[in-house]
Amino acid sequence: MLLQVTYYSGPEIEFIQIGFLKFWHFVPNLTIGAPVIESLRKHTRAYLDCHLMVTNPLDYIEPLGKAGASGFTFHVEASRENWRELIQKIKSKGMRPGVALKPGTPIEEVYPLVECENPVEMVLVMTVEPGFGGQKFMPDMMDKVKTLRKKYPSLDIEVDGGLGPSTIDMAASAGANCIVAGSSVFGAPEPAHVISLMRNSVEEGQKNN
Amino acid sequence: MLSSDFANLASESERMLNCGADWLHMDIMDGHFVPNLTIGHLDCHLMVTNPLDYIEPLGKAGASGFTFHVEASRENWRELIQKIKSKGMRPGVALKPGTPIEEVYPLVECENPVEMVLVMTVEPGFGGQKFMPDMMDKVKTLRKKYPSLDIEVDGGLGPSTIDMAASAGANCMWQEVQCLEPLSQPM
Repeated sequence: MLLQVTYYSGPEIEFIQIGFLKFWHFVPNLTIGAPVIESLRKHTRAYLDCHLMVTNPLDYIEPLGKAGASGFTFHVEASRENWRELIQKIKSKGMRPGVALKPGTPIEEVYPLVECENPVEMVLVMTVEPGFGGQKFMPDMMDKVKTLRKKYPSLDIEVDGGLGPSTIDMAASAGANCIVAGSSVFGAPEPAHVISLMRNSVEEGQKNN
Repeated sequence: MLSSDFANLASESERMLNCGADWLHMDIMDGHFVPNLTIGHLDCHLMVTNPLDYIEPLGKAGASGFTFHVEASRENWRELIQKIKSKGMRPGVALKPGTPIEEVYPLVECENPVEMVLVMTVEPGFGGQKFMPDMMDKVKTLRKKYPSLDIEVDGGLGPSTIDMAASAGANCMWQEVQCLEPLSQPM
């Protein structure tokens, strides 16, 4: 018997269909947006590095710029037609443009955005599939990091997904210099320890690269 | 910052900066490019006389929602809710067409409440029934009383009745869809 399983998720609705039964779920949009950034900006001068996992990043530039975001990283998969315009607009709003890519996307897709006259200032290599919890760090993504570091020695290369004490050395020696860590830091009994350990690993990696 | 306590975002940020973080990384998702991390679980609706017996096995099996019937839990719903939560599942309560909506109020209003109410729009256990529009009164009443409660409907939902349910205030529903292609082999 063939069972068809379809899962759809949108801003206001999701449904999963298994065989003949479809389960609809209308949900309010629970994501972080510009209002949260704006509130946070009132309390800190820190660099607010925003990773936009959205289909139309253009819509977010003005509100995030106004809200005080520092970095604006859009996805290469969502910007194939308009990345030039995106970079230009992001910079015009005083933010630093970055480009991210999902695990399934080949690294070559970001080269034009790094090599053009008005390039991105950072590349974010996802080391898990974005949008799904509880995943493990994907070591084979380190090939992308190595390739990037070799080609662009002074590029900021960021990694996100499953980074922590057990995976940092892999990322740092591959050439990543910006590390996004969530649960490995927030869940640690001593976050400062974890951060310092990862910083040391990155500094070591930068020496060797 | 996705791993932080959102209710205390400012102090969490400060804490991390004090611990040596250089940047604060904010994930912004539109639920379309990527699925929203906060949603996507599978409910279990237990039409059984002793739901307590099913909590442990379903918890182990990885169910994310456990909905028991108010008619089968008059003595022990507090214990049920507490046990369901302890197994990492989301507790819900269901009621049959003949059961007045007021019977679920205590389960929604108590200190340790259910997180969803399932309003049956057919008599459970009997096939081929039609959607009962008068059950929408229950949905409307619930939605008015509890604006942010998850309200689910089940029974005879289809293209013509989904709108009725949604406008009454239901936000979760099971729909039977037509088989578009004949099955090539028997099930």
